[in-house]
Amino acid sequence: MIETAPPPLDYDPFDYRQHDDPYPVYRRLRDEAPVFHNSRYDFYALSRYDDCQRAVRDFKTFTSAQGTSLEELKAQVELLINTDPPVHSRLRHLTAGLFTPARVAPLEAAVRDMARALIAPHLAAGRIDIIDDFAARLPMAIICRLLGFRREDEDLLRGWTDTVVHRDEGVFAMPDEGMQATLKLYDYFNAELADRARGASREDIIGLLMAAQAEGRIDHQGVLGYIYILSIAGNETTTKLIGNMCYQLHRHPDQFAEVLADRSLISGLVEETMRFDGPTQMMARTTTRDVALHDRVIPAGKKVALIFTSGNRDERHYEHAERFDVHRNPRDHLGFGGGLHACLGAALARLEARVAMEELLSTLGYFAVEEEGLARMHSPNVRGFTHLLVRFVAR
Amino acid sequence: MPSVTFLPVDAPPIIAELLPDMTLMEVALINDVPGIIGMCGGICSCATCHVYVAADWADRLPAMTQEERAMVDALDRAGPTSRLGCQVRLEPGLDGLTVRVALPE
Ligand code: HEM
Ligand code: FES
Repeated sequence: MIETAPPPLDYDPFDYRQHDDPYPVYRRLRDEAPVFHNSRYDFYALSRYDDCQRAVRDFKTFTSAQGTSLEELKAQVELLINTDPPVHSRLRHLTAGLFTPARVAPLEAAVRDMARALIAPHLAAGRIDIIDDFAARLPMAIICRLLGFRREDEDLLRGWTDTVVHRDEGVFAMPDEGMQATLKLYDYFNAELADRARGASREDIIGLLMAAQAEGRIDHQGVLGYIYILSIAGNETTTKLIGNMCYQLHRHPDQFAEVLADRSLISGLVEETMRFDGPTQMMARTTTRDVALHDRVIPAGKKVALIFTSGNRDERHYEHAERFDVHRNPRDHLGFGGGLHACLGAALARLEARVAMEELLSTLGYFAVEEEGLARMHSPNVRGFTHLLVRFVAR
Repeated sequence: MPSVTFLPVDAPPIIAELLPDMTLMEVALINDVPGIIGMCGGICSCATCHVYVAADWADRLPAMTQEERAMVDALDRAGPTSRLGCQVRLEPGLDGLTVRVALPE
């Protein structure tokens, strides 16, 4: 028998080839190099569940204040996601009460109406691009509604936010287009704020942030940054989650049948897809001191990738971790992160994902993915499809 | 220094500085209190910040919202003074507050 040595272990989130199926590399990281050093870009990576969870809790050692991407933070405005307490707590408390499950629940009817309206035009054709025709539109529509933006601006805003998260292959910084799109977003928000300042105040998130600004609890730049992060964070990821759920059903026909027969399993489908194939692969932190872990030392001041989707498949934490199972209902997965920076929009994302699936399943029934038409987005942090065409029985 | 005391399961008490406007969960994380995870970051949806408030303090805390009440009622380990740490905002008047950390669900 000829044994071929495995290729050298490399974790490079900027390498397009690793995006198709990163999970074998993650498994090797967990087993062979739980503290991995990428020498090309000089960052470290943690891939086990316990290590990721400890790191998100221990913000004094693993700070967010130097940015949460591996790229160097281009000092812009203060963003919720890139702060530590006490600044972080002050910012987060401004809106946290609006994002609890009970506070987002009243949006259900609006999500459902939008989902139906998006699916309806495709029923006669028996074919729909789950991403382009549906999942890419739904979350942006809801975010626009939450932020009080005009419906006709949705496509424009989505174009910009997509550009912001896109990375060119092998490029280790936000490309110029990304910077320009960021500036366009800020211009848009500024115009919106100026508009509101002239007119009557409204009782929504932006209204609340403007009121906080009037009381001196946040400044103008802070308000802009807040709107920016809410527009970016809630858009791409929810889109990709819906796509990944459809893909996993397609890959697991037995469970597809089960979920179709029993719609109460859809929440389990959402949770298990978040664990097994969650859109946010990784978020970064920076060490504030030397950290000794698994016989290695991460020096102070180094970027550390926390690979959440690897932690989610850690067999040290989950039984049969590499098996997809809608009955598992894992509520402790790292798909939304954890600790103080845990996803602010998680309850909203869960609601949107559940209602989207309910509507897709009840209108399309079984569907089959056209595998040759699958296309992926490329970003070091977010993983998912840009096109996912499915066929179903036309009606 | 105004303080709050956490009594973790099987670990020594932790006396933490009371930081006004922070939540009990946040102060627990700042002080690395074992057993308080704060998985959802305080959006009232994970209950990994569950604590039992000392009986003589229970009435002196800000009241529970319906939502916190519903979450707590659904917990197997709920007790008469159960609270979700992320829903308890601290203020200087709470100097001396003592809470026991609950076991995970
Ligand atoms: C399936 C969809 C989503 C996924 C997978 C996701 C994932 C995440 C993750 C992993 C984090 C933690 C970042 C870190 O630890 O550095 C996060 C933070 C955040 N998410 Fe989401 N998210 C989703 C949907 C949303 C939605 C719909 C919103 C809308 C409001 C949102 C808003 C935010 C914000 C504002 C933060 C920063 C919170 C903070 O730093 O305190 N997310 N998200
Ligand atoms: S931290 Fe999740 S409910 Fe308190």
